[in-house]
Amino acid sequence: MIIRKMLFASVAIACVAGPFSALAETSGKKIALSNNYAGNSWRQAMLTSWDKITKDAVAKKIVAAADPFTTAENQATEQAAQIQNMILQGYDAIVINAASPTALNGAIKEACNAGITVVSFDGIVTEPCAWRIAVDFKGMGESQVEYLAKKMPKGGNLLEIRGLAGVSVDDEIHAGIQAGAQKNPQFKIVGAVNGDWAQDVAQRAVAGILPSLPEITAVVTQGGDGYGAAQAFAAANRPTPTIVMGNREDELVWWKQQKDKNGYETMSVSIAPGVSTLAFWVAQQILDGKQVKKDLVVPFLRIDQANLETNLASTQKGGVANVEYSLEDAQKVISSAK
Amino acid sequence: MTAARLLFTKPWIWSFAATVIVWVVTVLFTGGASSLGLSQAALTFAAFSVIVGIGQMFVITLGPGNIDLSVPATMTLSGTLALKLMDVQDGMILVGLLTSILLGFAIGIGNYALIKLLRIPPIIATLSISFIVQSTAIWANRGLRIKPPEVLASFTTSSLFGIPNIAIVALILSVVAWVLLKKTIYGRWISAIGQSTFAARMTGIPVDGTRLVTYILCAVLASICGYLLASFSGGAALNMGSEYLLMSIAVVVIGGTAVAGGNSNIPGIWGASLFMFLVVSMLNTYGFGAGFRLILTGLIIIAVILVAGGRQSNR
Repeated sequence: MIIRKMLFASVAIACVAGPFSALAETSGKKIALSNNYAGNSWRQAMLTSWDKITKDAVAKKIVAAADPFTTAENQATEQAAQIQNMILQGYDAIVINAASPTALNGAIKEACNAGITVVSFDGIVTEPCAWRIAVDFKGMGESQVEYLAKKMPKGGNLLEIRGLAGVSVDDEIHAGIQAGAQKNPQFKIVGAVNGDWAQDVAQRAVAGILPSLPEITAVVTQGGDGYGAAQAFAAANRPTPTIVMGNREDELVWWKQQKDKNGYETMSVSIAPGVSTLAFWVAQQILDGKQVKKDLVVPFLRIDQANLETNLASTQKGGVANVEYSLEDAQKVISSAK
Repeated sequence: MTAARLLFTKPWIWSFAATVIVWVVTVLFTGGASSLGLSQAALTFAAFSVIVGIGQMFVITLGPGNIDLSVPATMTLSGTLALKLMDVQDGMILVGLLTSILLGFAIGIGNYALIKLLRIPPIIATLSISFIVQSTAIWANRGLRIKPPEVLASFTTSSLFGIPNIAIVALILSVVAWVLLKKTIYGRWISAIGQSTFAARMTGIPVDGTRLVTYILCAVLASICGYLLASFSGGAALNMGSEYLLMSIAVVVIGGTAVAGGNSNIPGIWGASLFMFLVVSMLNTYGFGAGFRLILTGLIIIAVILVAGGRQSNR
């Protein structure tokens, strides 16, 4: 009976998963998620997405296990020890959001030598034996300025809110914004502050610099800082500029309110926390014996004036706009990299 | 002349002097146009540092080794739980505040229980409690942002006669703390304990009771700060307290409170809190990059402490 049920289930999944499906190969495999930080809403959404998709995959016997592990202190040494434990525990693949692009390379090399597939995402690693699912952060920064250039061809003064100083993601988005501003010289970045991707920090930093700034036409951001910036402008009784948002629910709600009130226009861009599920499927495909390029690119999630309402409706209250990826999405990403 | 000399022997004068210099330099950038806006922003954001700074000051006054590292986690949990409990209803504002205060009580007792019963040094004890508290905050709401009640949000973001409400709240708390410190027996006790725990015990001061109350006081102030900050910035975030760990200690030290304990200083905390906000604003205004800004912030803090400390030893 059980075997027949399993067969049915297998056939059902095979139909869903399409012609590439070969679940027999990975049904005994164990995948671990090594995560360096859980202390903000984006990471919490990332872990929730992982939980949702992998539980389903385990129930359908696509993989034997997909256990998430998070380090307490967001430190590379701690995560390296965690990876070494995973090697000893006999995982077949490790999906990792790394605390550092380079400091974990030793531990990751050990894992590769032990025959373990390592897939890094979001916080990627440079070790050549690992796979990388990177977001085009530079493109994300550039797209903001391009949007503004289209919206206001006359240009104007920009305020840039950067992320956490010293993190590679911050440097890349910043480089994109600078490149965009160079291509569109009608825009001038008149001020930059670090908002640490947190509304309260961004609010404080913007409130501090705002009294010294000339009129601001637009604010370019990195995500998680747009609402704080909006509040700082309101507190200083300054006209609200076009603030690029970062897909957080409170930002989208604020945007919707402004839109209903006075037709406020902007865009919102960030990476979906569900990118962890894409990494999961990529790891599963590699374990399945598929040829996968070492460097994959995941598109960022962009919300525009037209699809604001639909995205707002599907976003959890107080959370982040999210997309969870399916096996087919992963296969599309893999094949487009070839 | 003697009045001036008397003034210069006050350790808090240096943090205010530094604040005024930084304020003037920042305002000069716009030729004075930004003075009102900058002052209001500085008062608003300094208020949060003042509230946690006062709590930390009481703990540091207890003497070497006394410190509360659970401040950020306490702020986060207090903001998270209070906003979740209030759930955008104006009628629940006081209930939320009460919950925050009770939470502070519990965390303070937990901190001191570890220190006293298990004989763990304060730095380790409060750090362990902070892990538990932070994990509880994550577990409680998974980082989802709940909006504060409308009345509370507008109270925290508006101002009275040009002075931000938050700054008024911090001022009231400061006055209460000042009275507690200078005019009550409790204040004498913590200074005595900070100068010599052994001597304090010999003179019959209830050392354990006083220390317990001090750790509770610090946690309660951190809770209130978390409650206000979450209401002010439109929701609690899991990392909203992280800035305030070093901040709470820095404003105490720059403000002229003796790190070795036994001598505290409330006006200095105001000077230091305003200074810490204005320094970042000044460097942002002049367009320094993040790396350079951090180095300069560090150097300026060292300079202020050196000047203030040098004067103290001359006395």
